[in-house]
Amino acid sequence: MQEIASHSTAERIALRKLVTYRDVVVTEAGVRPVHPARRASVAAVVRNPWAGREPLADLSEEQGRVAPVLAGILTDHLIAALGGADEIEAFGKAAIVGTAGEIEHAGALIHTPYFGNLVREFLRGESIICFSDARAGAGEDLIVPMWHKTHAATRSHYQTISARVGDAPRADEIVVIAAASTGPRPHPRIGDRTTDRAVTAQNLEDVLS
Amino acid sequence: MNIRKIVTYVEVTTAEGGRPVDPAARIAVVAAVIDNPWAGQGFVQDLGPGIDATASDLGKLLAPEVLEALGEPAEAYGKAAIVGLDGEVEHGSALIHTLKFGNHFREAANATTLLPAVEKRGGVGAVFDIPLKHITDATIRSHHQTVEMRVADAPHPDEIVIALAAASRGRPQQRLADLSTEQ
Repeated sequence: MQEIASHSTAERIALRKLVTYRDVVVTEAGVRPVHPARRASVAAVVRNPWAGREPLADLSEEQGRVAPVLAGILTDHLIAALGGADEIEAFGKAAIVGTAGEIEHAGALIHTPYFGNLVREFLRGESIICFSDARAGAGEDLIVPMWHKTHAATRSHYQTISARVGDAPRADEIVVIAAASTGPRPHPRIGDRTTDRAVTAQNLEDVLS
Repeated sequence: MNIRKIVTYVEVTTAEGGRPVDPAARIAVVAAVIDNPWAGQGFVQDLGPGIDATASDLGKLLAPEVLEALGEPAEAYGKAAIVGLDGEVEHGSALIHTLKFGNHFREAANATTLLPAVEKRGGVGAVFDIPLKHITDATIRSHHQTVEMRVADAPHPDEIVIALAAASRGRPQQRLADLSTEQ
């Protein structure tokens, strides 16, 4: 389900490893979902481009060089794992920086147009992409949030997937993650903005008192 | 057999020890999270009927999935059974240590050796290491390796995670002498 990027590409961004995790819910609470979703996260383990650099180094050059390549590799693998960009309905992103790096380094690889705009374009979305990030040791399990790729407030598509690489990040590495789902939660039934009653502290006095 | 979810894990190693790995080393794992067939029955002496109702179907489901996920011919393989906290390790062993389960994988991969295995009891999200060995000669040292796996929300106490693993090649920078050189 996964075609590796060319070796020259892998070397250009110091890619050590790519990990794809996909789950398909067959039954939940013993019942088959009406709209079964395939969900996947793809994690790339790269050397932190700023490892060993002076504090507060300028990040722009490396983020413009590394982040677009990551966006391409991660979305290629997500699309392959989930059966096509048009199948994908929700997306999210994340990064885990090793202990020798700054959380700002994680953000530099996922929070700029060099990554976000390209992931959105390749997955044919319009929404801002929700995220999580952390500085952590190898094997940290990061929960990656996802929401609808064109209508972020679609409550049925609020969901998370866990991403974990057993031996990464090393102290001088960053794990960069993109995640996507082909559908909603298994049995969504908490309404939506269009069906919510007006809720204010005043009209909930009986509950709050 | 009730399946709750199917999880596919693929890792591709492109560099190791600071050097490129070419061709990239691929390992795939496919895991099914199923209801423990003996859940809630107390101590069941004869596991045969549960094995007959489950093991072959599981092997038939997982074998083609893991080979497809690998995307290349398998050179090494292994298997796993992780039993939820209310079950016995014996329940997991029952489902994977039978030819009814493993033969589907052997036939699909043109393999001949027995599948190395991990079987243990664990909580939700337990990390487990699946051992892999060469598919036709379990003494080929270059192919001894493991893959680490976890299903975030499984096994529940009354579930079992059953997995197959396959590798496209031996360890990324394998460079140990053959077993034969020591004999």
